[in-house]
Amino acid sequence: MQRKIDYFPYLMLVPALALVMTIVAWPLIETFRLSFTNASMRRTVDYVGFKNYIEIFEDDFAEVIVRTFIWMFFGVTIKLVMGTLGAVLLNAAVPGRSLFRVLVMPPWIVPIAIGVFMWSWMYNGQFGMISGLGQRLGLLDGPFEFLAYGSSAFIATIVTDVWIGTPLVALYLLAAMQSIPKELYEAAWTDGASRFYRFRRVTLPLIAPSIATMALLSAIWTFNSFEIIWILTEGGPRGSTTTMIIDTYKTGLARFRYGEGAARAVMILVFLSAFAALYVALLVRLTRRNGAQS
Amino acid sequence: MKLRHILATTALFALGTGAQAATELKFINCGGSDSDFVTTQGEHIAEWEAANPDYKVALEFIPWGQCQEKSITLAAAGNPVAVSYMGSRVLKQLADSELIRPFNLTDEELGSYSESVLRTVRIGDQVWGLPRAFSTKALFWNKDLFEAAGLDMPEGPKTFADVIAASKAIDENTDAKGLGIAAASFDNTMHQFLNWMYSNGGEVVDADGKVAFDSPEVVETLQFFKDVSAYAQEGPIAYDRAKLEPLFQEGQIAMYVSGGWGRGRLGNVENAGINLIPAGPSGDGHSTLLITDSLVVFEGTGVEEAAESLVRYLTSVEKQSEADRKGGWTPIRQTTDTEELIASDPTWEPFIVSIPTGGPEPLMYEYAAMQDAINEAIQGVILGEVSPAEAAKAAADELRELNGE
Repeated sequence: MQRKIDYFPYLMLVPALALVMTIVAWPLIETFRLSFTNASMRRTVDYVGFKNYIEIFEDDFAEVIVRTFIWMFFGVTIKLVMGTLGAVLLNAAVPGRSLFRVLVMPPWIVPIAIGVFMWSWMYNGQFGMISGLGQRLGLLDGPFEFLAYGSSAFIATIVTDVWIGTPLVALYLLAAMQSIPKELYEAAWTDGASRFYRFRRVTLPLIAPSIATMALLSAIWTFNSFEIIWILTEGGPRGSTTTMIIDTYKTGLARFRYGEGAARAVMILVFLSAFAALYVALLVRLTRRNGAQS
Repeated sequence: MKLRHILATTALFALGTGAQAATELKFINCGGSDSDFVTTQGEHIAEWEAANPDYKVALEFIPWGQCQEKSITLAAAGNPVAVSYMGSRVLKQLADSELIRPFNLTDEELGSYSESVLRTVRIGDQVWGLPRAFSTKALFWNKDLFEAAGLDMPEGPKTFADVIAASKAIDENTDAKGLGIAAASFDNTMHQFLNWMYSNGGEVVDADGKVAFDSPEVVETLQFFKDVSAYAQEGPIAYDRAKLEPLFQEGQIAMYVSGGWGRGRLGNVENAGINLIPAGPSGDGHSTLLITDSLVVFEGTGVEEAAESLVRYLTSVEKQSEADRKGGWTPIRQTTDTEELIASDPTWEPFIVSIPTGGPEPLMYEYAAMQDAINEAIQGVILGEVSPAEAAKAAADELRELNGE
């Protein structure tokens, strides 16, 4: 007897599928298509093959890619280190820790634009807190404009990114730490393990999957970060803070070279897809391992 | 039966209302919605609507940061608004892309504008936008700081050499710095430079439409920036023009370049002078950058004629003059109102007498790319990473590529 196919579940998927096709698939396909054209403000659009992809590597895009990865590497690494330290401190049994947990949130809660504007004034040489403090402590001879020089502007954008991104890392890792059974710490303490030894041999191994997950997610967010650099430096001075996302925006939207901008966007998509693939692979591995343990 | 009657009546009523409804005319205005200018413009629009009852103007205010991009993107995507307020700098891009329509002005209408103002909106023989807001620039200087530095310049700096000498003396003899320089990766970095470049006889694009950014006059102006930056505020690359204002108001810099609006923003500086932009050694005298914002009419809306009528009404001599006064802008047309303005407030004079000798924002198809190239040259010179000649040549090469030379 032939089994009758029940179409009803598939029918239920149609709205979701239509939504995904409309807001994800169609723009993606359109971006790919545009990347092979010379689309601009002009009304005529011609297909130009791989010309846009060849041209972006003839420009200084390779330099932009390297800069993006350096920016991302330092941003993510510092956020993870500080987030882990923050999580340990927030997890410590000290009076008023609930208050500290609330106090760590503002950088994450405050709208990014407002937070970044605040930092732009802090970096100001004449009126900014950092320059003023540096002068009072004798570290600076006079006012120093952190956003005026390539190296200091690059570091300043990373510092701001770390300030905004660390609270989320800390809270995520705090949640992971709180899921570690207390018995493990008690057993280690009974065996005479020091505080640092307990952290190194109990805490870190057990939150390692969470750190790896957060590292990948943070890498994706940092790679895609736009507002921080745009508000602070618009990619300057002389391109020293221009990352892939800034370069793509300038090309595609500020200069209205839609075709070239789309090609750059596709390059970003390639890199982000690699991160996403890594993330999925990690999730699958963790799921399998946790499944074996249960 | 009753329900059928109600539905039929409603449908007929809706059809009737639809037939009578005025056609919407979408108008994007850059900037905020709560100024005296906006109120005045609203009154003028209401007058036009009263005379054209078939149309209703739907005004949308968008902050400057996104305004032009929104109008252009809508037009490029085939969904243009009828009228938009635009920096005249993008007119060439819009015109070459056939997104906007030209205005056929009579000789009388053309004659109501200064030739230098027309150059900001005219490409070839056609005018692509009608000037809506206008600014010229002048040098603001703090007389008390000049005196404290022991400078004998009662009339203030008149030449590049005066500015360098004054900046040096102020840096050495007071706690303040000399000329405030804006060099951030922002449009007014190029604007500030163009004021000085025009006063030194330089051009970005010459009369034949060829790039001339590596001319001796431009190199000389870049050299001036390099020399004077030694006595400027720390880190000019972190500053746009707006950030220089508080420095001038606090007496931390002795000079800076600003528009007419700066007259009312002197802060603690009680004794300020306002001079024409000092002349460079190779220039013919004082000059300034002329910046206009325009109203443009987009193609493909089906209401182009009405849109043009609205723009012509808003920018007519009388209405525009009123808008200029309310907006606090340099008068676009030189009328009796202008003479009255100078008579009632002589600080307007440097902003107005420089109009005939002023130069326009260069009209290049890829305006943003042109701006980036010039800003990089300025930043490179100030940071000491390239010489003025190298910076000018690198920028000129890029500009020639953009200009299709």
